[in-house]
Amino acid sequence: MGQYISRRSVHGLVSLIGLLILVFFLSRLTGDPTNLFLPLDASVETRQEFAERHGFNDPLLVQFGRYIGDLAQFDFGTSLRQQRPAMDAALEAFPTTLKLAAVTMFLAISLALIVGALAAYRPGGRFDRTASVISLAGASAPDFWVAIVGILVFAVSLRWLPTSGTGTWLHWIMPITVLLIRPFGLLVQVVRGTMISALSSAYVKTARAKGVKERVIIFVHALRNSTLPVITVAGDQAAAIVNGAVIVETIFGWPGIGRLMIDSIIQRDFAIVQATVLLTAVAIFVMNIVIDVAYAVLDPRIRHN
Amino acid sequence: MKRIACLPVAALAAFALQPVAAQAQDITIVLSEEPDLLEPCQSSRSNIGRVVKQNIVETLTEIDPNDGTITPRLATEWSQVDELTWRFQIREGVTFHDGAALDAEAVAYAINRTMDENLDCEVRTKFFGGLKVTPTPVDTYTLEVATDSPVPILPTMMGTVTVMSPNTPMGEPDREPVGTGPYKFGGWNVGTNITLARNEDYWGDAPDVANAAFVWRSESAVRAAMVATGEADIAPNIAVQDATDESMDVSYPNSETSRIRIDTMIPPLDDVRVREAVNLSIDRDAIRGSIFSKDVIPATQLVVPSINGHNPDLEVWPYDPARAKELLAAAKADGTDVDAEITMIGRLGIYPNSTEVMEAMHAMLQDVGFNVKLQMLEVAEWVDILTKPYAEDRPPVLQQSQHDNNNGDAVFTAFNKYHSEGAQSTMADDVVDDLLVRAGAATGDERRQLFQDAFKRINDEVIADVPMYHMVGYTRVGERIEFTPSISTNSELQISQIKMR
Repeated sequence: MGQYISRRSVHGLVSLIGLLILVFFLSRLTGDPTNLFLPLDASVETRQEFAERHGFNDPLLVQFGRYIGDLAQFDFGTSLRQQRPAMDAALEAFPTTLKLAAVTMFLAISLALIVGALAAYRPGGRFDRTASVISLAGASAPDFWVAIVGILVFAVSLRWLPTSGTGTWLHWIMPITVLLIRPFGLLVQVVRGTMISALSSAYVKTARAKGVKERVIIFVHALRNSTLPVITVAGDQAAAIVNGAVIVETIFGWPGIGRLMIDSIIQRDFAIVQATVLLTAVAIFVMNIVIDVAYAVLDPRIRHN
Repeated sequence: MKRIACLPVAALAAFALQPVAAQAQDITIVLSEEPDLLEPCQSSRSNIGRVVKQNIVETLTEIDPNDGTITPRLATEWSQVDELTWRFQIREGVTFHDGAALDAEAVAYAINRTMDENLDCEVRTKFFGGLKVTPTPVDTYTLEVATDSPVPILPTMMGTVTVMSPNTPMGEPDREPVGTGPYKFGGWNVGTNITLARNEDYWGDAPDVANAAFVWRSESAVRAAMVATGEADIAPNIAVQDATDESMDVSYPNSETSRIRIDTMIPPLDDVRVREAVNLSIDRDAIRGSIFSKDVIPATQLVVPSINGHNPDLEVWPYDPARAKELLAAAKADGTDVDAEITMIGRLGIYPNSTEVMEAMHAMLQDVGFNVKLQMLEVAEWVDILTKPYAEDRPPVLQQSQHDNNNGDAVFTAFNKYHSEGAQSTMADDVVDDLLVRAGAATGDERRQLFQDAFKRINDEVIADVPMYHMVGYTRVGERIEFTPSISTNSELQISQIKMR
């Protein structure tokens, strides 16, 4: 297992280096930050002086060399807008997104396993049809729309929840719900599909013939064998959330990394773009390793191979 | 049964929401974005200015939003010593929040710090670009400010320079500003809020509000909802579609003027008849009250009526497609290629419904016979086209833009936009150049008249743009407070002007 993790780490490092190079050049393609930083009324001379002083006039390869040199010393650059180390800003925002992602995925997986398993027990039954409609609607609903409607209904009309912001446990309810809907919908469908095939397998029939309780058959025998595809899809969904719960963070005013990344892309704050991409890439890489290990733990065939 | 089930939820919610309810004299202001710094010399940026300007840090002079006149703030009086020098008398008995005394030395330090190139201060790049400013204390409370070229409106320009404590480091951006204002910086919980507390030793009248918290939400609908639910007391800037409650929403002229800039250098737009036809093709009344708010005012020039130099005698271009067609036919008969493709460049999100208004104008121009194509660009690409140096092989362009001037004088607009050497000028007219240079050096009535003459020529004879509207913003004000937004609400929000009900 140790050897496997080391091998994956080397692969991950190569991917990270490639990603950083790609992000550096792609972000520069979006234009010179000078025009966005300075007021529209700034003179041509002021613009040239600013670009010169910040090195934006240098050839791209010179800028790249400088960037790699700094990176080698773990210097991720200084934010043009915030005038402080870019990695500080990224690290400050990251825990918020991580907390959101962790709670969301925990709830999404738990609920999806229960609902998906029960739906698969009687395919085509009333519970299955209801669960399918709700989960498909959830997987297809645009989250910005759900968020705004949620605010209008639960905050403005009913006054049950705060509109946005952080501070109390009530502030978590709407962001988590909005973030949860899509992965929950997808996961219910995956659990349902794999459970239907597991429940019609020979070992389930054997268990039934032996008189094992239905609850045990569903949640112990069949569900355990159905979790591998669920973990794969859940990993993808978790990566999407870590990569930036942009909509939720923006609408609900959560100071997470998704919002920071989008703001810095809009403002051409390259140092922060690079730092946030690096941080999320590392997080996704670590998560993939965890998922691989989880496969091995859950499925002895993978472990022995 | 369902109602009973809801009760505990509602009770819990009410309990948990209690901390949100503010103290009697505390208010919450919800902005559209978090400031990236709290640097006083960046206070011309609205997200920074609304927090710090005239709240934490003050200026020597202040511009009256109603008529653009200059009133005393940290300077009590001023006079011109010679063509290049002004003398300011600094208010006595004022101290900074950190205990330092306000005197001529402190003001000189603040001016020098603002002019420091390493700080990239927007106040410098926006208002003092290319100007060398030298402050010299004459005695404890007298300061002389010299410039390397005549600046007849230096007292107006001093309304943009904020005075921070002399203990603020030179050359380093500030995140914890210290000034002389009615509020002290309380704290900045990054990503969440910024708090200000009343300065009990303030030199002026004690303000009503004890503590203010600034929070930020980028969605206009959320900002409006926050005021509606009492989570916030003011949302200075909400979109027109969210201003749905007349009891809370106030429209105000936000000092912005929208226009379509015409590149007068490139055929067929170098023919004045074609430029006039463009203006006559636009039905401004159809756009007002449909795509734009009904409160916008059709414009004739790029400065609002309260700005010194605005010409009240100019007339809004009428909607006259028949006359536009005649002009195009006449230009074509004289050899102008009126069928050449003209590119309309818009900017996504420059103001609410920016795409829709460009689509409407695109259709109006097509109806008259123009061969136009529309391109909506993201801000960086749009700025590249807006500012010099221009590409030599550029196509004929009609460019959507918007200009903000709430600084009292037309000089902040006219040279940059219309002088042949202006960074965003797409015209070259010797008469306008001469008028603008003379206006910039003149004072009083002569200055006003020269700017008015320049605007008349730009609009009636050169026809350098399609003036659209003097725009409006919407502020939502909660029921706990009294606040009237003004033209300056676009860049500052003086908490001392807010009264508790």
